Amino acid sequence: MLRALLILTLPLVAAPAVLSDYGLERYNGRVVIVDFWASWCKPCRQSMPWLDELSTRYAGHGLVVVGINVDAERADAEKFLRDVPVTFEVFFDPAGSLAQRFKVPGMPATYIFDREGVLAESHLGFKQAQRSTFEARVRELLASAANH
Amino acid sequence: MAEKDKRISAGIAAATCGLLGAAAPSMAPAQESAPTWDIDSAVLYYGESDERVQDASLAIDARRDFGDDRSLDLALHLDTLTGASPSGAALADVPQTFTSPSGRATYTTPAGEVPLDDTFHDTRVAVDAGWSQPFARLYKFNVGLSGSTEFDYQHFGVNLGLSRDFDRRNTTLSAAVAYAQDTIKPVGGLPIPLATMPDAVDEDEQAPNRMGSSDSKNVLDILLGVTQVLGRHSLLRVNYSYSDSSGYLTDPYKLLSVVDPVTGELVARTPTPGSDGPRGIYRFEGRPDSRRRQGLYAEFRQDFSGKVLQLGYRYSTDDWEVDSHTLEARLRLPIGSSNYLEPHLRYYQQTAASFYRYSLVDGDPLPQFATADARLGEFDATTIGLKFGHKTVDGNEWSARLEMYRQSGVLPTAQLIGSQLDNARLPDFDAVILQVGYRFKY
Amino acid sequence: MKKIFSAIAGAIVLGTSAGCTHLGVQPWEREVLAREDMQPDSNALDTAFDDHIYFSKEGTSGGRGFGGGGCGCN
Repeated sequence: MLRALLILTLPLVAAPAVLSDYGLERYNGRVVIVDFWASWCKPCRQSMPWLDELSTRYAGHGLVVVGINVDAERADAEKFLRDVPVTFEVFFDPAGSLAQRFKVPGMPATYIFDREGVLAESHLGFKQAQRSTFEARVRELLASAANH
Repeated sequence: MAEKDKRISAGIAAATCGLLGAAAPSMAPAQESAPTWDIDSAVLYYGESDERVQDASLAIDARRDFGDDRSLDLALHLDTLTGASPSGAALADVPQTFTSPSGRATYTTPAGEVPLDDTFHDTRVAVDAGWSQPFARLYKFNVGLSGSTEFDYQHFGVNLGLSRDFDRRNTTLSAAVAYAQDTIKPVGGLPIPLATMPDAVDEDEQAPNRMGSSDSKNVLDILLGVTQVLGRHSLLRVNYSYSDSSGYLTDPYKLLSVVDPVTGELVARTPTPGSDGPRGIYRFEGRPDSRRRQGLYAEFRQDFSGKVLQLGYRYSTDDWEVDSHTLEARLRLPIGSSNYLEPHLRYYQQTAASFYRYSLVDGDPLPQFATADARLGEFDATTIGLKFGHKTVDGNEWSARLEMYRQSGVLPTAQLIGSQLDNARLPDFDAVILQVGYRFKY
Repeated sequence: MKKIFSAIAGAIVLGTSAGCTHLGVQPWEREVLAREDMQPDSNALDTAFDDHIYFSKEGTSGGRGFGGGGCGCN
C-alpha cells in the first residue's frame, strides 16, 4: 500500500531514485555504475566484459556494477550471458519500464552514481577509445569519501 | 543528456513492474577471440534460352571490423561471358550475312531467326574498396573506390556517402554521390553512328566507317534517402536518385536493319566483287551523348514473428523517355532455428526510348539517333525465385538460390510496315539464375 | 517531377518530426530491428548480382543503396 502511494508521488521526484528498490540502498557509500544492455546490442559484447573487469578491479575500493537487461525475451539475455559471462549483478527489465524511467536515449547507456547517490556521469554508447577517460572518472569518484 | 540530480535514497521505495534481481554465474569473464574478417562469397550461373548469353560469376566480399563501428569492405567480382546476343538487326525470311564487329570477318544468320552476334568470350574483373566510420556520434560517412576491366571496357569510380541519425536513431537521412569515368575501346574501332555496315576487310586494313579507336563516358550519380523506423517490427526506406551520364553511350556492336518502305523486307545489297559482306543494308546504331535519369525507390520491411516481408517499388524516368516500374517482394520464412526459405518475385516494366526503332525505312531521312537494341525497347520482365539458407553451428551460412527470368517485348506496331506486321519478332528470352553462396568468418 | 518532390518532402517531414511518438521506437525496443534479416543490406551479395544482371539486360538500373534501421547502438 505504501509502495502504491509512493508510485503516485514519484513524478515529482527524479527517476533513478528507484534504484533503492533493488536493495541497492546497501550500496550507499559506494560508487554505482548502472549499465543498460541487451543481447542484440553489438557494442555490449565489448562493454560488458570491460565493465566486468572494472567491477573486479575496483570492488575492493567500493565500486558496484549493476547491469540492467532490456531484452524482451529472457532466453536471449541468458544466451548472451553464456557467451559473455559477467560477475556483477544483472537485473531484467523486459518491459523497459526502468529504461523508460531513466529515459534511456540510446543503447548501451551507462550511468555512474557517486557515493552520495547523486548521478555523476552518463554515457551513451560504448567506444573503445573512451575507456581510459571513463575509468579515470570512476577512480576519481571512488577517491571521494562518502558524507553520511 | 539532462543531468538532473538523481538520488539513490534509502527512504524511497518505489515499485516498478516485473523486475527481478538475479546474479549471473560467477565465472571469470571469457576473452572473446574475435575473428577479424567477415566474408561473403558466392558463385553464380546465368544462362539464357536458345544458346544465347551464358555467364559464370564469382564474388567475394570481405569486411573487416576495426572496432567502434569502423569497417573496411573489399570486394572482388569475376565474370566470364560466352554466347551470343541480339545485334538489333530484324529477322528476315532469307539468310542474312553481317560483317563481324571487328570488321574483318563475316557471319550468317539462318532465315527466320533473330540475328545474334557472337559475343566475345570475355572475362570481366571488378574490384571495390570502401571505408565506413562514424563521426560526432550521430554521423557516419563512407568513401569508396571501384574499378573494373574487360577486354574492351574499363571503369573507374569513386563514391562518398554521409548519413545522420535523428529522433533516437529512428530516422536516418543519407546522401551519397558517385562519379565514374569509363573507357570503351571496341574491337574494330568506334563505328560512325548510323553509317552503313561495310564489307569485311583484310586483317591489315583499317575497318571502314569507323571514327577512332576509343572514347569515354562519365557518370555522376546522386542518391538521397530517408530510412524511418515505423515500429518495433517495421522499417521504411525511401530514396531519390539522380544520374547524369555523358560521353559515348552508344553500343558499338548494335545495328539496325534498313527495310523497304512498302514490303517491310530487307533491302538487297551486293557486296563489292572480291569481298564478302552484308547482303542487306544495315546501319550502326547511335545514341545521344547525354542521359539524365531520376528515380524514386521505396522499400518496406515488416517482421511477422520471425518471418520478414520485404516489398520494394522503384519508378524511374529519363530524358531518353525510358520510364520503368519495378515491383519486388521477398518473404523470408525461417524453418527451425538454422534454416530458411525465401521466395522472391519481381515484376519489371519499361517503355521504349524515344529513338528506339524496330528497323529503319529506306528512303526516309536518317534520324539523328536510332537503336534497335531490345533493352531500350518496350518490354516487361518477370522473375520468380526461391532461396534456401542454412546456418551452421559456428554461425556460418550456406545458401542457394534459383531464379527464373522471362523478358517479353512489346512490338512497336505503329512502326511496322508490310510483311513486318506478320513476321516481326522481338528477341524475347528466358534465363535461369543459380547461385550458391557461403558466408563465414576468417 | 512535382509528384516525386512532394513524395520525398512528405517522407522527410514524416521522418524528422521531432518528439513524435507515433513513428519510431524507444532505444531499448530494437530487438527485431537489430536482426540481420531486418537490415537494409541483408542479401547484399544477391542484390549486387541482381543489379549487375538487370543493368545488363534492362534499360534502367540502381537507385537502391543505404543503411539506417538496425540496433541503433552507439
